[in-house]
Amino acid sequence: MNPLLLASGLDPLHHVVDKPVYGTAINLSVVMLVVGGLVTMWMLWLASRRIATGPASEGNERYVSKGRLAQLVEVTIVYLRDEMLTPVLGAERTRRYLPFLLTQFFFILVLNVFGLIPMMDMQTIVKHLIGAQPPPGEDWVFFGGTATASLSVTGALAIFSFIVIQAHGFKELGVKGWLEHLCGGHDLVAGPKALWLIVPLIFVVEFMGLFIKPAALAIRLFANMVGGHTLLATLLLFGAMALNAGMGMVGVGSISVAAVIFAVLISFLEIFVALLQAFIFMFLTAVFISTMSHHDEEHEGHEEHAHAPQGAAGHGHAAPQAVPAHSPEAPA
Amino acid sequence: MLGTGLLAAEGASPVALEVLPAVTSAVVFLVVLGFLYVKVWPIITKGLDERNAKIIGEIEAAEEARRQAKAAQAEFEKKLNEAREEATKIVAQSRAEGQRQAEVARAKMEQELQERLQRATAEIDGAKRQAIMEVHDQAVSLAAQIAGQILKREIKTNPGDQQKLVEESLQQLAGSRN
Repeated sequence: MNPLLLASGLDPLHHVVDKPVYGTAINLSVVMLVVGGLVTMWMLWLASRRIATGPASEGNERYVSKGRLAQLVEVTIVYLRDEMLTPVLGAERTRRYLPFLLTQFFFILVLNVFGLIPMMDMQTIVKHLIGAQPPPGEDWVFFGGTATASLSVTGALAIFSFIVIQAHGFKELGVKGWLEHLCGGHDLVAGPKALWLIVPLIFVVEFMGLFIKPAALAIRLFANMVGGHTLLATLLLFGAMALNAGMGMVGVGSISVAAVIFAVLISFLEIFVALLQAFIFMFLTAVFISTMSHHDEEHEGHEEHAHAPQGAAGHGHAAPQAVPAHSPEAPA
Repeated sequence: MLGTGLLAAEGASPVALEVLPAVTSAVVFLVVLGFLYVKVWPIITKGLDERNAKIIGEIEAAEEARRQAKAAQAEFEKKLNEAREEATKIVAQSRAEGQRQAEVARAKMEQELQERLQRATAEIDGAKRQAIMEVHDQAVSLAAQIAGQILKREIKTNPGDQQKLVEESLQQLAGSRN
């Protein structure tokens, strides 16, 4: 049974919420952010050395990425760039925003995956082994946890998405085009006057959307991380709950075994969710960037993607770009 | 406490908005972005682009080589056909030339034979004429001699002897012919 959960009583959220590092006022999420950032930089730097073209003396071998990590990173990057981002943003914008989007993806992925490693539980075991006696209400933990299970963290990451999306909108559309976008697009503003009545309504909705979209990014990532871990914690608490309810050893044992089996299965799902949520955060940022782009410049050089939107193509009209049919875009 | 709860109860709620994690998140993300932007993404992008260019270059080179090989094959086949036609022409010409030369040689030989035959015929005719003339001369001479002897016998001997003389002369004439 999870020792930290048992130590926390029967509150599954205790396992999930951000806590201070033992004896300090610094949160675990802060530690994990720093560790995650360092690991992200180290991992990708290492991969880049092995993806880079080698010396000419190696012949054709110099073009081959060496090592599993480099190959994994390379395959991921090539897939995201060619199959996900380029169809949405077009080749030129993909090249421009690829560093930002890939940084988001890998940083969030590392933070999510770190949350799946039971570091805090291991520390609790160590605490029991060495007989440490923390004051009541304090956890004897120094690192661990899911940084992205904190709304503060995901909110800060989403602010960068907001800045990039709006900066791109201003750069691509200009102030006039940006305002037209908020008013429903050039076609509506320059269209029949009768339609102008709905412009204020659209403006309000679009203006709220400017903030709702990145907020949705933050909340989606945070909620998925918290939800998954809460579910895991709840499952693992079933045994303790049965014990508290006065069930016999057979009942407690059966429930515990079933709970552990389900927890293992849910853990596999959590690994997938960690990857998926990092992808969704990055991909929706790309989609929101594309919505602030000239429609007639979309998909340059990617006519093979038949999902290109066929709608209005007026100057300054910022219609959302089509999303690949196989992409897991989740509604905000 | 640095992680001051803004919305929810301090440290108790997962939705609590706290300044320190947010600021740390922003700073760390900026540092990571800056580091990767300078030290990692250009290298990876360059590596992938170079590999892409290499693959495209190899494919284009292979296509070009195939195109050249096809052109060379077509050229070779064209030249082979030309050579075959040329060889056929040369053989036909050689055959015709051989035939012509054989005809010429045969004609020449026939002409030579004809000339030799004519020469031989002429020589034979000459020799024949010469022989006839010699025979004629001998006959004349012999006839004169016989006639002289006959005339002498007519005077000195009897008619029997005259007859005998004629016969002997005729025998001599026949012997001279042989």
